[in-house]
Amino acid sequence: MKQLINRTPLSPASWSILFLLMFSASWVSAEPSPINGAEVFNNNCARCHNARSLDEFSLQEWAVIMPHMREKAHLTGKETDAVMAFITLVKKGETKSASAKEGAHVLNGEALFNKYSCQGCHSVNGKGGTVGPALDTTIADKGKTFFLQKLKNPQFNNPASPMPKMPLSDEEIEALADYLSTF
Amino acid sequence: MPVKYLAAITVAASSLSAANASEIDSARFVLSGYGDVKYETSELQDSSAYSARFVPIFLFSLSDKIHVEAETEISLNAEGETEVELEYADLHYFLTDTTTLTAGKFLVPFGQFGPNIHPSWINRSPWTPGIYGSHGSSQAMEALLPILSDVGVAIQQTFVIGNYQKIFVDLYSTNGPGIEADEHEEDLAEEATEEDGHAELPELAFEAGSGDNNKNKAFGGRVAYAMLPGIEVGTSYYSATYDDDETLDITAQGFDINLIGSHYLVRGEYIETQTDGLEEEEGENEIHTFKRDGWYLQGTLQTGKIWSSLAGTDLVLEYAETNKLAEASRWMVGVNYWLDARAVIKIAYDDTDVEEGEDDQRLAIQLSYGF
Repeated sequence: MKQLINRTPLSPASWSILFLLMFSASWVSAEPSPINGAEVFNNNCARCHNARSLDEFSLQEWAVIMPHMREKAHLTGKETDAVMAFITLVKKGETKSASAKEGAHVLNGEALFNKYSCQGCHSVNGKGGTVGPALDTTIADKGKTFFLQKLKNPQFNNPASPMPKMPLSDEEIEALADYLSTF
Repeated sequence: MPVKYLAAITVAASSLSAANASEIDSARFVLSGYGDVKYETSELQDSSAYSARFVPIFLFSLSDKIHVEAETEISLNAEGETEVELEYADLHYFLTDTTTLTAGKFLVPFGQFGPNIHPSWINRSPWTPGIYGSHGSSQAMEALLPILSDVGVAIQQTFVIGNYQKIFVDLYSTNGPGIEADEHEEDLAEEATEEDGHAELPELAFEAGSGDNNKNKAFGGRVAYAMLPGIEVGTSYYSATYDDDETLDITAQGFDINLIGSHYLVRGEYIETQTDGLEEEEGENEIHTFKRDGWYLQGTLQTGKIWSSLAGTDLVLEYAETNKLAEASRWMVGVNYWLDARAVIKIAYDDTDVEEGEDDQRLAIQLSYGF
């Protein structure tokens, strides 16, 4: 055993190369997860400044601003595209919601929670973003009326809130409230 | 990097822009930016004054690959004249998903304050950290590296490690600093040699220009590690030859940290500089290297996130010091109130203690807005 150990020494340089190979492999071989635009928004904006409300600029303006932020925040192209997809979902949803009054609503609160990537900015069960508060006990602590008002007018209780007005109908907000009441 | 290369990049970018013009929709331009109004009293200046700035940022998205940005600072000086300064004007070419080339006048990626934190609606203090200088106004503390932007080329590479870790690498080459000219247009590197033979710290001009006093180019870079969304630590390097004869150097190393919690922010930087100066020894000039260092640490408690009755408020504390040759320290305390996510009123007081010089106490009330 001693001989075996003596025959396989690794110099510091060898250890460094090995470490680099392992390190490289870890990010090359890792199966890339789908990029969540809301999560990218949460993880990067607040590194330097308050997250800006998506309502502040039009979709076309965001399309010009995001390449600027890509360089400033060291975002990858794919992450930039994911953020744009999230903004598009929120922005274009406004139109869709208006036209969806014909009955094509998704009234599953959990599905809506996932569709609009709420967990990109809010945590539930300890998982999720930190731009907004944890949502586990929001309904229990502040009441359903507060929640409904918050989604209809996100800045009503805090003018500095970056929460965008999500393109949700009254029925969809109710469904979300019911879902969050289960925590 | 010869200027002709920069010109070639600009021409190439223009050609690409023309080629893709038909694919660009009408919304390719956005006017963004920030501005502020400040009331400040200073014991050292024995005065109080209102000041105002308007800092528009022009953004052009020429294609999926090319982005152009420019920031100008429009302000009033003490004499009432309007001053316009080009903070940056550059072109980004997104070479790959993770690689970006930049050419023009850009924010130098040294530390975090210059490239990311300096806009007044982002900076939690109404003042620039003392180690970076005052950026246009006056301050009692002598800056270590008063550099914000410069003209040249840069490359940025982002390495993604899993879902939450990244490594940022920025490298650049720019014109670099020159010698600060005085009223008599004398060479301060030589003037720095006093009659008794002891050298004084040379005064350098860091203002960027489309010219250089020598053929040497400044170069440097920053490597940072980020554990998203809460931690970013980086180390920076800067090196340049600043005199006409290319014999005197300035080098700087920095370390920066940025912690982002759910209710707090902690930002800090340490900088160490080595600046060559001439020292007279037995009738001959010899190079003497001056070493300085300093740091600042700024903590922000987002009280509005802890207590809903204080919604929109921050409590800010900052300490800064410079050591060796120009020793000074500064405490700052401030309270911020956010009108909305991009507009803030800051009230702050600072106390600067200068080892060999005049101390200062300042009070500032600043309204700052991003748009």
